Amino acid sequence: MSKVMSTSEAVQRFVNDGDFLFIGGYICRPPFAAVHEIIRQKKRDLTVTRSNAADDFDMLIGAGCVKRFIATFISLGLYGLARCYRRSLEKGIPHKIEIEEYTNLSLPLMLMAGAMGMPFVPVKDMLGTDLMKVKAFMGENKYRMIESPFDGSPVMLVPALKPDVAIIHVQQADEDGNAQMWGIGGDCKWGANAAKKVIVSCERIVSRETIGKDPSRTIVPAFKVAAVTEEPFGAHPGYTPGFYDVDFSFGYTYQQASNTEEGFQAFLEEWVFGVKDRVEYTQKYIQKFGYPQFKKLQAKFDYGYPVSYAF
Amino acid sequence: MTTHPDDYIKPELMACCGAREIGDGDIVIVGTGFPTMSANIAKYTHAPGATMLQESGVFDARPTRPALSVGDPCLNPGAAMIGGLVEVMGMFLQGGWIDVGFLSGSQVDKFGNINTTAIGDYHKPKSRLPGSGGANPIGALAKHVLIIALHDTRSLAERVDFITTPGYLDGPGARERWGLPAGTGPKVIITNKAVMRFDEATREAYLASYHPDTSVDEVVKLTPWKLKVGDDVHETEPPRAEELKALREVLDPFRMIKIYEKRGYV
Repeated sequence: MSKVMSTSEAVQRFVNDGDFLFIGGYICRPPFAAVHEIIRQKKRDLTVTRSNAADDFDMLIGAGCVKRFIATFISLGLYGLARCYRRSLEKGIPHKIEIEEYTNLSLPLMLMAGAMGMPFVPVKDMLGTDLMKVKAFMGENKYRMIESPFDGSPVMLVPALKPDVAIIHVQQADEDGNAQMWGIGGDCKWGANAAKKVIVSCERIVSRETIGKDPSRTIVPAFKVAAVTEEPFGAHPGYTPGFYDVDFSFGYTYQQASNTEEGFQAFLEEWVFGVKDRVEYTQKYIQKFGYPQFKKLQAKFDYGYPVSYAF
Repeated sequence: MTTHPDDYIKPELMACCGAREIGDGDIVIVGTGFPTMSANIAKYTHAPGATMLQESGVFDARPTRPALSVGDPCLNPGAAMIGGLVEVMGMFLQGGWIDVGFLSGSQVDKFGNINTTAIGDYHKPKSRLPGSGGANPIGALAKHVLIIALHDTRSLAERVDFITTPGYLDGPGARERWGLPAGTGPKVIITNKAVMRFDEATREAYLASYHPDTSVDEVVKLTPWKLKVGDDVHETEPPRAEELKALREVLDPFRMIKIYEKRGYV
């Protein structure tokens, strides 16, 4: 059964105010088409998570969509500190988000636990540091210390996370939602599989037969997927391996804009509210920066040997 | 005969100091900037068997341009293995396989604790920083941690405002009490003025070597705690010709390392 629909419909049907969202990506494959749609539809009171958040999370915070953030890190990479995030925490603009802080070890393992139906998972990070002292909305359940039942040593347990919805962007998927990804993974596979339902945004929809030619690349099986949206250039200004590069100059544009609240609002007007979907966004990008610039971002091809699964 | 050209800049010296801490065969978890440069200098000079990982999921990348983040597209083609955070941070780091981790921070204290969370009060921060990311687990679990910092009274502190990443915490025995793996912890703080190492008894950083254009007195003056001076304190060895050659001809032909001068590493 085809689950293909527009991003607008997917967000409308499957993302509710107050939901807990995992948003995949690691500079690699941020699902920007869906993130912009969430802002356009003015979703509110979201709890959001992923390890190493970036400009997509900063935009959601600045646009007022986020209430709570289960975080490890957020920055604009090369361009330094995340501006909307800082305004939120330092000045309460547009409001102060609540933040629960973990690390790039504990958070991925909490998602892994969620995916595997484990209630919690032991981790070896955070011990002895001030990350143990700061607890927000998760309170005492941020972590628990126990004595190992095996050898009596101190062990930290952190709870499993089970997001309501995961939104990921991958290279290709079939109409049912079998989603294939290659390249840097971040916590995408675990975040997606921990969630109750998954929105798969992809560069291209391919046949079930194509998926079957290299099934080891599938990170989420169709039965977990609620919607499939085809969004070429959907991770821009992030990148998708094999499709297009990071757009560093656009990253700079966002940093400059988000330096001030007015600049940030103008950015949203231009690139989010001013276009109706990713197709218009891409057209606008080409009009504004020229086709050669768009072309320059497109990946070269360097195929490996085809794999064979035959027996 | 080792020669030492005198046209180097301070970030190049710091990258070389980092390289010299890496052994042949070490598995090194790197970020961008200094860590990558140091690990590569080591690889092209005394440690051809060193291998790099990025926390995002990459093992033994072969980038054809300098990576600007640990998730950079250029890390993908040519790598020996790509997974994600669960593989690198879970299987390899928590699994106990990482020899060297490289960290930097807005604030570093005398026990090698690092703050990348907030300057000032956590709940009313003067400046809100990015957070731990991979730093805390690397500081907790890598066998040796190399710390890069600016040498001034803002970046160094007697005590950081917030311990994001564990050094020796509050001193001798603290890591052991928390059950952090035996034999782990910070090994060295490399600044734009000096190299500091950690006293095995007190766990405090002491002055091991001062860079060529400075002195013991100046370094002590720039350090906001009562900096002890090592018995064998000496001038830092300047970059060797072969280290600079690797850096300039192979790793960083456009000399992007100069941006660190603008960030105060002079």
